[in-house]
Amino acid sequence: MAVALPETTAAPETPLRTSAGRRPMSINRLARIVTMLLVAAAFVFPIIGFVAMSFRNADEVAAGQGGFLGLGGVSWENVRYSWSQVDGFGPGNGGLFVQWMTNSLVISIGGALIAVVAAIPAGYAMARLRFRGRRVLLFVTLLAMVMPNTVLVIPLFLEVAAIGAVGQLWPVIVIMGFFPFGCYLAYIHFMTTMPPELVEAARIDGLNEISIFTKVAIPISKQAVALVAFFSFVANWTNFFLPLALLSSNQNNKTVSIGLQELIGASPLFNPTVAAGLNVKLYMPQLALATFLSMLPLLIVFLGAQRFLMRGQTVGAVKG
Amino acid sequence: MTVASSARTDSATAADAAVAGPSRRPSRRTSRRVEAVGAWTLCAPYVVLLLIAGIVPIGYAFATALQTPPTPLNPAVGFGGLKSFETVVTDFRFLRTFGNIASVLVIWLPIMMIGIVGLALLVHASPGRFGNVMRFVYYLPGALAGVANFVLWVYLLNPSSSPIRAFWSALGLTDIKSVVVSGNNLSFILAAMLFFQGVGTWIVIVNGGLNGIDEAVLEAAEIDGAGPWRVAWDVKLPIIRPWIGYAALMNLAYGFQLFLEPQLLDQVASNALPDQYSPSQLGYAFAFSNYNFPAAAAMSLILLAITLGIGLIIVFKSGLFSEETH
Repeated sequence: MAVALPETTAAPETPLRTSAGRRPMSINRLARIVTMLLVAAAFVFPIIGFVAMSFRNADEVAAGQGGFLGLGGVSWENVRYSWSQVDGFGPGNGGLFVQWMTNSLVISIGGALIAVVAAIPAGYAMARLRFRGRRVLLFVTLLAMVMPNTVLVIPLFLEVAAIGAVGQLWPVIVIMGFFPFGCYLAYIHFMTTMPPELVEAARIDGLNEISIFTKVAIPISKQAVALVAFFSFVANWTNFFLPLALLSSNQNNKTVSIGLQELIGASPLFNPTVAAGLNVKLYMPQLALATFLSMLPLLIVFLGAQRFLMRGQTVGAVKG
Repeated sequence: MTVASSARTDSATAADAAVAGPSRRPSRRTSRRVEAVGAWTLCAPYVVLLLIAGIVPIGYAFATALQTPPTPLNPAVGFGGLKSFETVVTDFRFLRTFGNIASVLVIWLPIMMIGIVGLALLVHASPGRFGNVMRFVYYLPGALAGVANFVLWVYLLNPSSSPIRAFWSALGLTDIKSVVVSGNNLSFILAAMLFFQGVGTWIVIVNGGLNGIDEAVLEAAEIDGAGPWRVAWDVKLPIIRPWIGYAALMNLAYGFQLFLEPQLLDQVASNALPDQYSPSQLGYAFAFSNYNFPAAAAMSLILLAITLGIGLIIVFKSGLFSEETH
């Protein structure tokens, strides 16, 4: 306490958090900044090195050349060669990777569209309408939201197998359209941005419940739509277990997440016998390039949704 | 008609009174019913999806789990009672998979929680641009989710490409197989993978909880003579306890469904790891290696029960989902 006292008497009128920036370098502050920078370095360096890997040459990588994080060994030539290998993967002239990327886009966008169409009205109804079963529906939504989505993959496979649709894209899209986290986001959104009086007033004006939703609620739900679409797209794109169980049987209908697994399996680094039969060579730079390309749609969506993100992440302390 | 049109020419309040006045009680009851019909119409697409992707598969898994698996001698399936649950629980791999998960959780959860809470507090104690930049940097690895995170770790774990190859060679490890397989490395590697991928998102969430703390509370603590350490420990931590509990339970539930990482690590280690390291992998093996769907369904239901239990605690006990708070 005796140590802290001079500090507080020096600036008693300013709150602690804002005064910290103007205070002279204390041991505490120095330790905090150094710790934060060290952690940041540990997070960023692997990513920089990994991205640089996709611009490098496999021989140099194997020889341990390329300087700090391999940044000295990057060139556009290497990327073009790596792409020819990744693109060449597949029967005939290859092209499987592009097919997988297309499938991922179709599934992720389709799933996100269904998620928005289903979650926004349901979230609105749970937030602003009174009906029997509301609490149960909300409770089931919360429960489904906090459970890891992989625990139901085998049951979902059994269900899809029962209707003979394993290996097709549409069941995956429909299943991904169920996005309880999105429904909860919409629920929180209407709770916080739409006062009950607004609904009441619309009723007195003679609007029915559906019209209130389409004419009053939808115009103020841009933010919720953006967030639900974003989180759903990311969840769909990165989903691994569901496409693995449902789409592995059909080479042309795989998504890029399980496709990457196949590229790893076809790398001479990890499976020389399989790789020997292929005319493409998938070493670390090629795998890194394929991974980097598979992340691009996520980066684009992330940048597009950025202004909605910080708010959405903190609303109600939720996680997708 | 004439009454209605004449009322409309009056002021709006008079029209409302004329419409609602005489028939107030019955109209409220019908409006309740109209409201419920409207609500269920709006919820219909969501409820249909909930049935398709949640309720029906669980029910179907129950039905499947109670069957006997088809064998080459007896391809027909019949009622098997709880036989498939017995098959799963007595499988020599069953307890081992939970032991494996436990060995990862023991390392990962404490580090994860210290990382989340510690970094969120550090970010919160750093107002302005520096804190914002750091929060964004911590969030970055979270963008590399799933397989992408995995390939990144292959790059780090493979001594021939790794920027930390000096570390691996100091341990006497020269190829990725030896890195993954030797000693107790696997639990630590999985813990590191999960930490790297997950910590950033949780920092943002817990930081959101910290931002919700009333400025006056922190000021009062400072006026009472509390330094930054005491404010963090005695004021901020107790307030964000619900978020900490939420994060711990969500990550615990997440740990039980581990699949991708051990599955693919086995692949890059030339199949030198146990094929069924995690419970999810065991369920997958029952379904796709043994074609014993009743056992696979039973395994899923066991995992479902565990994560459902954790989920119930989160929803009821964390205090973050009570309707009063919104």
